Amino acid sequence: MSPWIRLLVYLVAAPIVGGLLAGWDRRISARMQSRLGPPILQPFYDVLKLWQKENVVVRRSQNYYIFFFLLLAIFTGALFFAGSDLLLVIFALTLAAIFFVLGAYKASSPYSFIGAERELIQMMAYEPMVLLTAIGMYMVTKSFSVDEIAGHGRLLVLALPGVFLGFLYILEIKFRKSPFDLSCSHHAHQELVRGLITEFSGRTLAMIEIAHWYESVFLLGWIYLFFASMPVLGIAMSLLVFVLVILVDNVFARLKWQTALKSAWLVAAVLGFGNILVLSLLR
Amino acid sequence: MTLVLALILVPFAAGLILLCLRPDAPRKVVVWATILAVGCGTVALSLAPTPVDLTHLPVNVHWVNLAMLLVEVAMSLFILYVGVRAKHPLIVLLTLAQAGLMTWFELAQGSHVEAGQSLFVDKFSVIMALINGLVGGGICLYALGYMREYHEVAHRDVPDRRPLFFALLFIFMGAMFGLIFANNLVWLFLFWEITTLCSFLLIGYMQTEEAKRNALTALAMNLAGGLAFAVAIVWLYRKTGSIELQALINSPDKALVLLPAALLCFAGITKSAQLPFSSWLLGAMVAPTPVSALLHSSTMVKAGVYLVLRMAPVIAGTKVGLMVALVGGVTFVVGSLAAITTSDAKRVLAYSTVANLGLVVLCGGIGTYEAVWAGVLLIIFHAVAKCLLFLCVGVIEHKLHSRDIESMAGLIVSMPRVSVMMQIGMAGMFLAPFGMLISKWAVLKAVVDASPLLSVFIVFGSSATLFFWVKWMGKLLEVVTPHERVQKELDLGEAIALYGLSAATFLACLLFPLISSRLIEPYVWSVYGHSASLGQGNIIIMTIMMALIMLFPITFFNYGRGVRVTDAYLGGANLQSSTRFLGSANTTQNVTIGNYYLHNIFSEAWLSRWGVTGSTVLLAVMFLLALV
Amino acid sequence: MIGFKQSPWIIHYDASSCNGCDIETLACLTPLFDVERLGVINTGNPKHADIFLVTGAVNEQSRDVIRNIYHQLPEPKVVIAIGACAASGGIFSECYNISGGVDSVIPVDVYVPGCAARPEAIIDGVVQALGVLEKKQKEMTSLANSLDQALYLRAEKSDAPEILALQKTAYQSEAEIYGDDSLPALQQTLEELQTEFDRPEQVFLKTVVNGKIIGSARGHAVQDTAYLGRVIVHPYFRGRGIGRRLVEEIEKAFPNAKRFEVKTGHRSERNLFQFRQQGYEQFKTEPFTPAITWVYLQKERP
Repeated sequence: MSPWIRLLVYLVAAPIVGGLLAGWDRRISARMQSRLGPPILQPFYDVLKLWQKENVVVRRSQNYYIFFFLLLAIFTGALFFAGSDLLLVIFALTLAAIFFVLGAYKASSPYSFIGAERELIQMMAYEPMVLLTAIGMYMVTKSFSVDEIAGHGRLLVLALPGVFLGFLYILEIKFRKSPFDLSCSHHAHQELVRGLITEFSGRTLAMIEIAHWYESVFLLGWIYLFFASMPVLGIAMSLLVFVLVILVDNVFARLKWQTALKSAWLVAAVLGFGNILVLSLLR
Repeated sequence: MTLVLALILVPFAAGLILLCLRPDAPRKVVVWATILAVGCGTVALSLAPTPVDLTHLPVNVHWVNLAMLLVEVAMSLFILYVGVRAKHPLIVLLTLAQAGLMTWFELAQGSHVEAGQSLFVDKFSVIMALINGLVGGGICLYALGYMREYHEVAHRDVPDRRPLFFALLFIFMGAMFGLIFANNLVWLFLFWEITTLCSFLLIGYMQTEEAKRNALTALAMNLAGGLAFAVAIVWLYRKTGSIELQALINSPDKALVLLPAALLCFAGITKSAQLPFSSWLLGAMVAPTPVSALLHSSTMVKAGVYLVLRMAPVIAGTKVGLMVALVGGVTFVVGSLAAITTSDAKRVLAYSTVANLGLVVLCGGIGTYEAVWAGVLLIIFHAVAKCLLFLCVGVIEHKLHSRDIESMAGLIVSMPRVSVMMQIGMAGMFLAPFGMLISKWAVLKAVVDASPLLSVFIVFGSSATLFFWVKWMGKLLEVVTPHERVQKELDLGEAIALYGLSAATFLACLLFPLISSRLIEPYVWSVYGHSASLGQGNIIIMTIMMALIMLFPITFFNYGRGVRVTDAYLGGANLQSSTRFLGSANTTQNVTIGNYYLHNIFSEAWLSRWGVTGSTVLLAVMFLLALV
Repeated sequence: MIGFKQSPWIIHYDASSCNGCDIETLACLTPLFDVERLGVINTGNPKHADIFLVTGAVNEQSRDVIRNIYHQLPEPKVVIAIGACAASGGIFSECYNISGGVDSVIPVDVYVPGCAARPEAIIDGVVQALGVLEKKQKEMTSLANSLDQALYLRAEKSDAPEILALQKTAYQSEAEIYGDDSLPALQQTLEELQTEFDRPEQVFLKTVVNGKIIGSARGHAVQDTAYLGRVIVHPYFRGRGIGRRLVEEIEKAFPNAKRFEVKTGHRSERNLFQFRQQGYEQFKTEPFTPAITWVYLQKERP
């Protein structure tokens, strides 16, 4: 499939797929808690409702940052699915996340401020592992290009088991789920009221939700890359990982940010770097 | 040809003139004229074909060598005097050793000690010259307004020695040009020592106890580097009979010149404040801001990494190179982590400088063509962005009377222009698609190709940089207690420097493919026969990202439409505002917001201790390997 | 349009409840009743919520908090008073510090009776509130869409109740600014307003869209000066020129007046700005309460 077609498909299908994933997320969580849970289409109803609400702000420029967060989150995913350089994708994601954090800073409220600081700590926690994942993939496939990594003949996870496990660990942070939902938990859990997103409402809040959908699809796409040479297995594993993330979310309580930072760096150093060390010694 | 000589001599002459000018008006004229001349000169140089033919100098080399020896001796005597008066045995010992060695060397070998070609200009020299001339020039313009406010308003107790200050700035600039263009290592050494002396005098400008102490530390550490430099020259002559830099770099027998290369790398490491020598740069922040910007972030410390990058082809692939790379990597990580823990703005910038220079040293240590390409890129972008940040902090310090990041809250309202430029500078330091990010990307690629295990330093260090930069950016944006707008933010010189640098940050990023192909790649090609680049597709994507970011200011045309302004959520206890709430016992409380400094996780003391220990061990190993 | 009925987000506040109703409310979130299957999420944050669930009677402390939270809720919003205390003060209604139920502070849309209210009743209340919410949303969208067809007419005495309700809603934001709801506008009763209508020299104007009054102004002339006041616009329709038009219309209603005078509070930035835009200049200030100082503005007829 040509990169342009993949890009278009992503732009159109990702929010739908992401929303359905979010819906399944809440449903599965509810079932794990012996509840019925909302309908699968609930996230779409939420976004539609938010779109019609009044936009209440604390500072008049705070919403612009969120709009750019959405724009750049879409851009990141589009880059990834169009098959460009993986490092560039990571940097674009960082850029998007920073706009989000700056928006929360701009909102100038104590809860959003601490949410922003915690979000930065979370970013600092997962960044090493994310970069090490890209480096690991480069060492096996000799390329940073997502196209070429996806086209690699061998199953990447066999050469990169440590990196894969480390990536799963920080996936919990990226999906904003327990035990690492420190800055703004997804759906109903509260931490610091709503942390990062406390002062946003109406359309802006809807944009944050949509950006999260795009991001979820992108992250699961990255899991797929580990199994890219067997596409069916790849999709199955992506969904399985998603269910695993939800399971961990329901089993664990929230940890402190000190624990999050230290453990994520430890995992990156041991699992991620360890894997790369073994790979370079074997070469 | 004469252009090169003029670029070296004109700033010296201007410096000497400025030493005699007390009043402000003629000083302004001289500074502006010199800066314009130097600026045009460097641009003209960049347009000239290289390498420039410099084999026939219009001056008698003998007399120049003699004059240099005299200047050398005079400087050493002065430093000896300083060391004795301050009762600093290390300085005395180092000066005696260094001066003694060089004087003996030059007198004993006599006229045999000559370089076939004393000056040399290639594309790398042009890049450094552009940085020195344009960025350095901008700083000198800034310094005019800044120092006036410094003495008349902010620091009235500091004795006004502005003639000396400006003279030193220009003498330094001339010395930098000399350093960049020199091929004769003895000449390079002299210019190197002149920069050390300028740094010492400028750090101690305030003449307080702290300033004097820090100046002496800087002097001692740089002298150690100078001693290594001197030993390197002597050794090189003993082994190869030449004192030319190009001869060292292009030497066919790498093992022979490994020790001089290691010694020169050591000199570069001290000059660029890598661990274990970082404390002098941190202490140098007591000096006025133009000094911090010129000497200690944009130009002088770049001389150190410039030397290391020059040595790159020699140490590439060797264990010595690995040690140098490790020192750079450790400095990067330790510097970035330490920057999180401090709230003094200049200290954060100093740590960040040390860390980024560590990255360049890492590139030099690895020494492949990709790494050197990345290293030069880093030098360019860092010089521009860091200078911008220092100059902004200087202005803020004067207007707010504080260097603390916590007091910069809401700066976007009280000093919007400076605040926006600070954001550009900070974005330029770590954010895609700005320059430093491109450079870090290039470094990462170079590292994974050459020795992937070194990537662990980059990976952990860059996540730390994210934290402290965005923390600071957020502080500028948050408006908890509204402040009044500061009336006059910038005067003319300051404004030109700041606007110019902001534009340069953007332009350098947009024109980066041009810079790469016209300046950097030819240099790398000339040394390695290969060159690296970033790929056409990636450049297009980054341009799109830049375009997206530049759309951001446009959103402000829609400012305030369609939204209802209300208060922040304070649990419902707001007292008609976002910052006051009803506390317990019916008291009115104010909201205070402060950043995280992670003191319990990374403490400066712990980081320095381990950083210094680790890097000392690495350097010791490096010398052992070079000797064996 | 879908949305509100399927995704009601609530914020729950305990005014001074014994926690009985609170426990029942939170029980709705448990697996036994599971309101999340209706899409209900308990956000702790007014800016994310549509429904404001209040339990307990209103005392001095909770009065301000209720008002703060209510103001921070984005439109359209509904208020549900849960339990007997929230409805009317319950058994505590005659206590010295209780001013009554929630409707003594903010307008309430749904009352859920009980002491403690049962979870089934609470869920039923929420479902009813959803209907109210949808109705409000439809009204607001249709009003917003037909703003260009606004009519500026003289008001009759029969409009007094609607104008009073509008007055109380509109002056909420002023009360917010000064933290003082002893503003005369908020204290006026229906009888007082109807008496004003009876006075012959008083002129009342109303802005009507789709049969609903969303703005009003009044004034009276004494000799050459016309005194204007109570220029009110529904909070949802501010910033669209309705206030400006009302001032223009009421000025036109006094063709013989040579000078116009109006007063507003010293911290009502928006009003002061608006009047200055229309040619008014400040000429006098007069303290009213420790919190409020009246600022008087005047304009000569050109």
